[in-house]
Amino acid sequence: MMLIAKCSMLFLLMQLFLITAFGQTPVVTLKVIFINTVNKVPVVLDSFEYTNCWNETYTISKLKYYISNVQLQLANKSVLKEPESYHLINEEDTATKSFSLSMPAGTYSSLSFLIGVDSLKNVSGAQTGALDPLNGMFWTWNNGYIMFKLEGNSPQSTVVNNKVEYHIGGFAGPNNALRTVTINFAAPLILLKKENNTEIFIQAAIDKMWNAKHNLKIVEIPVFMMPGGLSAAIADNYAAAFALIKIVQQQAIHH
Amino acid sequence: MIVAVGTAFMRQPPHKLTYIKLVVPKGWPAPPTNIFANNPLTEEGFQLGRKLFYDARLSKDGNFSCASCHQQFAAFSTFDHDFSHGFNNSFTTRNAPGLFNIAWKKELHWDGGINHIEVQPLSPLTATNEMAETLENVLKKLKGDTSYVRLFKIAFADGTINSQHLLKAMAQFTGSIQSYNTKYDKVKRSEDSFTVSEKLGYTTFLTNCNSCHKEPLFTDNSFRNNGIGENDKLKDKGRMAITGNPADSLKFKVPSLRNVTLTGPYMHDGRMYSLNKVIEHYRTGINFNQPTLDTLLRKKIVITNQQKVDLLSFLMALKDDTMISDPRFRQPN
Repeated sequence: MMLIAKCSMLFLLMQLFLITAFGQTPVVTLKVIFINTVNKVPVVLDSFEYTNCWNETYTISKLKYYISNVQLQLANKSVLKEPESYHLINEEDTATKSFSLSMPAGTYSSLSFLIGVDSLKNVSGAQTGALDPLNGMFWTWNNGYIMFKLEGNSPQSTVVNNKVEYHIGGFAGPNNALRTVTINFAAPLILLKKENNTEIFIQAAIDKMWNAKHNLKIVEIPVFMMPGGLSAAIADNYAAAFALIKIVQQQAIHH
Repeated sequence: MIVAVGTAFMRQPPHKLTYIKLVVPKGWPAPPTNIFANNPLTEEGFQLGRKLFYDARLSKDGNFSCASCHQQFAAFSTFDHDFSHGFNNSFTTRNAPGLFNIAWKKELHWDGGINHIEVQPLSPLTATNEMAETLENVLKKLKGDTSYVRLFKIAFADGTINSQHLLKAMAQFTGSIQSYNTKYDKVKRSEDSFTVSEKLGYTTFLTNCNSCHKEPLFTDNSFRNNGIGENDKLKDKGRMAITGNPADSLKFKVPSLRNVTLTGPYMHDGRMYSLNKVIEHYRTGINFNQPTLDTLLRKKIVITNQQKVDLLSFLMALKDDTMISDPRFRQPN
């Protein structure tokens, strides 16, 4: 088991070297951190009552979404892709809200990712890790991953228990709810040495849900949980939520 | 060099597995996709899947296994039931189909909502009117059972009991259930010959049925509205529920006619209790006032009474006694 894990790590590292043909270029670690916010304040589950642009109040009890196919573009336009790149960001589990990428030293210009799970993995059978159906992000009756899930309550909701539930997904044809986000760095990001610690903070401004591209009112649509229909429009909205907060680079103090 | 060594380590389990092969009978089309591409078919995986398939403890109350609704003697459909029984005296809302030759299907279920054999069990395992259990609880039960701990170790390289291994093992069993030994198959292989009536029935079949129930699989796996009309209680729109496309309203998957004498009652809602009724529907019962009615059914199907008798004897020649009595597919001891 350990041996297998080590071999696959080695394999990944080798792949990185092969892709970039950098040979002995040092590998640096880049941490990507997601901060979910509403009205510019980090999300607090359950207890906090938010107001949206339609003057509707709501709480959030569950907030989960997939970030996949993470890639970094180098200043020279070549692209580095994270292998097996699937991350489930779950607001209630801090450990899931960041992940680390191992990258060769270099100068980078942008970071991009998919919100959701690419179409291939939606049709490739039983998966594990972030894609395990145990995570409650897989539709069993109309197969495919839920790309984005937001649940809560609102007095404006007309359904039983004033529930608010949006399970957004769909990967085929007009039902495609996959959205690509590209974060351009204001200045080239130079990753130099292994000892340097770089963190990219990305905000997901959940309040964009209600009106970024299309109007979504709780009183009209308190629950939506299927591929197709409104899924694509709601995906347009939350895709607009993702933006760079800051990049922090620190020199390691020990040597 | 190092890469090659690493890969070899990853692919070589710490023990020997007995690899088995799916049979692709002579004259059959190749399966549309390789369902075992990421799930190498082994005797060990098959046997684990077989035990899981017959294990009622996988359900919430311990009463329902996969085999409760998919009975070998009924070609793995539910014998003589329009709907199957589920948890807490509930019923399913669609007729349980026979399970065989799944490797030749791109989508599963009457509406094609399942896109891969491996993820299919998630639906009956968790549906409140079927096995009604959570995936978490299923795994908990398996982890607490020493025989499963041993079987997962034998079947999978790292031996972990997780949802992926559970689903892959089940796919190895169900994907291995094959029907290719009916009298029809034996006639095609020149091992047997049709009776006069069967032969005439085969001709009638080729003229009137084969466009959709295409031999040798006896289905083209398409979704069609065969003119039976909407079930006014269930309001089941079939394929449209999956695609959202109104053009798919009332379309359901064309079922295979292999073992058709065992898989009744017929249609997605089991509304027709005899093959006689089914043929009568195609002769005289089609409701032509449906916008999505299949174009092949817009022209009236003419089958004489004598042809109907012969067609029925041909359909009986599609029963696969080898499959329904195969000890490999039986409940394990």
